Amino acid sequence: MKKIIVEGLKYKYPLAEALALNDVTFHVEQGEFIGIIGKNSAGKSTLCQALVGLVPHFYKGAYGGKVIVDGLEVKNRSIADISLKVGMVFQNPFSQVTGSKMTVYEEIAFGLENIGIPRSEIIDRIDSVLNLLKIEQVKNHNPFDLSGGQMQRMAIASIIAMKPEILVLDEPTSQLDPAGSEEVFQAIQSLSKQGITVILAEHKMEKVAQYCDRVLLLNDGKIVDFATPEKIFSREDLEEQGISAPVYTRVCKALGVKKTGTDEYPVTLEDAEKALRGRVV
Amino acid sequence: MKSISLYEERASFVHDVDPITKLWYILFAILIPIILPSFTISFLFVGISLVLLLAAQVIRKTIPVFGFVFLILITVVIIQGMFKPENETVLFQIGPLTMYKEGLLYALTITLRVINIIGAFMILILTTKPSDLVESLVRKGMSPRIGYVISSVFQIIPEMMSSMGTIMDAQRARGMETEGNLLVRIKAFLPLLGPVVLGSLINTKERAMALEVRGFNSQVPKTYLYEEKKYRYSRALQIAMLLLTVTALAWRIFL
Repeated sequence: MKKIIVEGLKYKYPLAEALALNDVTFHVEQGEFIGIIGKNSAGKSTLCQALVGLVPHFYKGAYGGKVIVDGLEVKNRSIADISLKVGMVFQNPFSQVTGSKMTVYEEIAFGLENIGIPRSEIIDRIDSVLNLLKIEQVKNHNPFDLSGGQMQRMAIASIIAMKPEILVLDEPTSQLDPAGSEEVFQAIQSLSKQGITVILAEHKMEKVAQYCDRVLLLNDGKIVDFATPEKIFSREDLEEQGISAPVYTRVCKALGVKKTGTDEYPVTLEDAEKALRGRVV
Repeated sequence: MKSISLYEERASFVHDVDPITKLWYILFAILIPIILPSFTISFLFVGISLVLLLAAQVIRKTIPVFGFVFLILITVVIIQGMFKPENETVLFQIGPLTMYKEGLLYALTITLRVINIIGAFMILILTTKPSDLVESLVRKGMSPRIGYVISSVFQIIPEMMSSMGTIMDAQRARGMETEGNLLVRIKAFLPLLGPVVLGSLINTKERAMALEVRGFNSQVPKTYLYEEKKYRYSRALQIAMLLLTVTALAWRIFL
């Protein structure tokens, strides 16, 4: 089943000269884990926001084409309607704190109260996301007193608790240490395995290569390529696109080692190890 | 985090009373002395408020507030005591200054009223969490948007102040003088405004987006994480206050 359909999407921010998104077309199946990569200002955040309706409803601006998420056409629905289907986590965890709640626990409840979830279920859901993102120990702290990493986990937890069918994450681990990012990625992967469709904009290429089923490469608001991580990171023009492949891929490229039986370079540590060992032995 | 709320966490029956009943009490404490303008009633209400503040163990927090109010009331006493047009009976003289009885009595009325109103409000403010108050008002039908504005102010303002501190530190690190005489400080304050105001505007935009995706504008009836705070006798208290008000009105009109 196609969960996300984007057809010929064009978008220009008000007062901007250039198109932020230019003729973007792609489809995503239910349960897929999609990575969006590209250099700064390539249109990653704009594309993420187009999936939840912030583009165009929040910003206004010139809009063309079609975005259909889980059967809803974004242009004709309110953000409140779409937010029941699509959850979005933003880059800056600090500005995602509502500021009207005194504890992390209440903060996570905010979205659930708004969409009218019964009280007993609110409590169940909060307990489960606190556990999933490992922030139980701070549940009675003030949200503004958390560290950047904890705040980011709380922001993700607040959205996951609303149980969206599609989860859009815009650089959700920018404030986290390597161990913390790994934990968050694993939590997201477990959701993806439960059938939630995940769209993730990220600069950490090793993580994208490891977790994503397919990768969408953007440059100047246009789709350059949409394929498996192996295929994307084996491209010869990555430097021109302003990104660099995972370090494992770069090593294998330098050594000229491809994945056995394919024309692609390995992108994860395990694959690289396998390919390199195969050559050494 | 530093809070600008005056709420004091204590275990007392005053804290247990629901916020709506406390709002009723404010109205009640303001109305009755207006309906029955006698010193006995005014003293009675000031007494009740003070006893409740004592019972709530928050009387100490009221001292700075009353201190500030007294400063203003002293000017009222002096001006009314000396210059009220109806002044006739000389009470005492200090050098060239004469205090009159009529003016002082009038000043006493004003003083009692002000203390009474402040006291009633202090009961609400010192013993009720702002979020509880807002939540009970939203339950009574106030728009959740207005509720959000009120309760977020208590956290966003201290946040803005702390970000102002960060910006000031950053500018000091780049060699700006921030300490010294008034002129130096005013000069140091001006370049702060740009980053603080613009930064807040950007944060506000991002926060608005984050609220949108969390269903802030959802049309579905809201639910609540906490069960409604109910005090066993709140209905009885409210009815009692209503009856007393009606009685006071009847007393005033017919007797």
